[in-house]
Amino acid sequence: MIEANGLHKRFGAVHAVRGASFTIEKGQAVGLLGPNGAGKTTTIRMLVGSLPPDSGTVRIDGLDTLGRSLDARRRIGYLPESTPLYPEMTVAGLLRHRAMLFGVARRDRRAAIDRAIDRCALRGMRARRVGTLSKGYRQRVGLAAAILHNPPAILLDEPTNGLDPTQITEMRRLMRDLAAEHALVISSHILGEIEKTCDRVIVLASGVVRADAPVGDLARATGAATRCVLEAALSDADRAAGFIAALRDIPAVTGVQTEDLGGGWRRVSVSAEPGARGLAEVVGSIALNRGVSLRRLADETPTLERVFLGLVARAEPAP
Amino acid sequence: MTGLRAVFSREIASFFRTPIGWVVIALHTALSGVVFAFLVLEPGDPASLRPFFGLAGWLLLFVAPAVSMRLVSDELRSGTIEPLLTAPISDWLVIAGKYAAAVTFLILMLAPTLVYVAVLEVFSEPDYGPIAAGYLGLLLSGALYLAAGILFSALTSSQTLAFLGTLFTMLLARMVTTDALASRAPGAVAGWLYAVSIDRRLADFSRGVIDTADAAFFVLAAIWFVTLAGVALQSRRWR
Repeated sequence: MIEANGLHKRFGAVHAVRGASFTIEKGQAVGLLGPNGAGKTTTIRMLVGSLPPDSGTVRIDGLDTLGRSLDARRRIGYLPESTPLYPEMTVAGLLRHRAMLFGVARRDRRAAIDRAIDRCALRGMRARRVGTLSKGYRQRVGLAAAILHNPPAILLDEPTNGLDPTQITEMRRLMRDLAAEHALVISSHILGEIEKTCDRVIVLASGVVRADAPVGDLARATGAATRCVLEAALSDADRAAGFIAALRDIPAVTGVQTEDLGGGWRRVSVSAEPGARGLAEVVGSIALNRGVSLRRLADETPTLERVFLGLVARAEPAP
Repeated sequence: MTGLRAVFSREIASFFRTPIGWVVIALHTALSGVVFAFLVLEPGDPASLRPFFGLAGWLLLFVAPAVSMRLVSDELRSGTIEPLLTAPISDWLVIAGKYAAAVTFLILMLAPTLVYVAVLEVFSEPDYGPIAAGYLGLLLSGALYLAAGILFSALTSSQTLAFLGTLFTMLLARMVTTDALASRAPGAVAGWLYAVSIDRRLADFSRGVIDTADAAFFVLAAIWFVTLAGVALQSRRWR
């Protein structure tokens, strides 16, 4: 549904996006994750066609956003970062205006507006002026305006920014609903946000795609090793050597390091290939079989948070 | 076409949902009323609106930029231009819709002054030819100022800058092309200045002369500015 191919964008000396490529299918909710200044907004603006890329192409439903701009735009629902809306218009008036802009036929207009209002829980707000609404409601009006014409591709730039926790929960529920029937792209600098709403995450840092993987598989996709650490009573040298050899024999294990902690205790770190599962369980049962007593056994596979921070830290700053 | 209508109707509605539309209409009506009361309603004078058209022409020079300044600048400042430029409507239609709304507003603003015609009718027998020509002149020159105004508005996100840019440019254009100033210029330049003179053409209209060349001048100049405004808006995409 959304195909980005080798997108580049420079602003003067700043190379904001450097060769971003990805494909997003219908029914997928994809999180565009990255620290502030990573190029998320620039990427989204190129996807929706408001900013032409210096090189590279974007296709929405097979339509080039530059070559067949107007047809492509009809298939896009876009919520810009700060939710710019006309403050003097009423909620219903604004939605009617957007419906006309997107060429929703007169006979379908009312139904389209009612549906968007229902979906975004704005029923009591029809006659309210947009300028008098709270931030949370304004965000919902922006979302209603974006989904009004039932576009196959929906792109939301930082949709939960500045909302309170209740509003964030509401917004997430809405976004999960939308993900079922549309290709949904959500940008955020908060990992937890993406984890809760998206199936797939694209990590962007300094304008480069650092990772593109299902949320659960991010650690494996980025090659972060599986690790497990234990502290064992290994005063007997033979016993220690046998135990460590047994650990090395576990399939997928790539390395074992030990460190003397004194008093007969040793810390043993076991590393395995990325994505290896159940490492701690196997290590634990080997210790049990060999009668090695343990005082600590921990799975230290990096959390998503740590993987993300690692990816971002590795990215060199934009020139 | 629904896209054009969407832009047009939102723009017209916003003139009246924000104070600016009412303030501009009130000021224009009050000032032109003063002009009418002191210059036109002279006992013994012929029942003509000529003094009114002369001053109303200058008044428009200040009022039109106030009408046009927010057309695009406001959207650039508040960011509402982003959803507009990602809607399936061409930049040209956005500009055309906004410009049509501004011209419609100008007509609504001039409409109350028709009361003066009624007043003249009550007290004497006005000649309707020059009055119609005078109104056409006001409308055409106003349309030109608005066209210059939408260009300046598309160039900056500051309404103040858009207002001053339009006012100074049009003021300068009017002043250097007045007979008094243009006649001091060297021959070739004088001829050129005389050719683009707004004042001379407006004088024709208020005398009751409708010259196609005069009308064409205003229409073409307006189209020229509106086209440049479209180019200015489009060039924003490349920055």
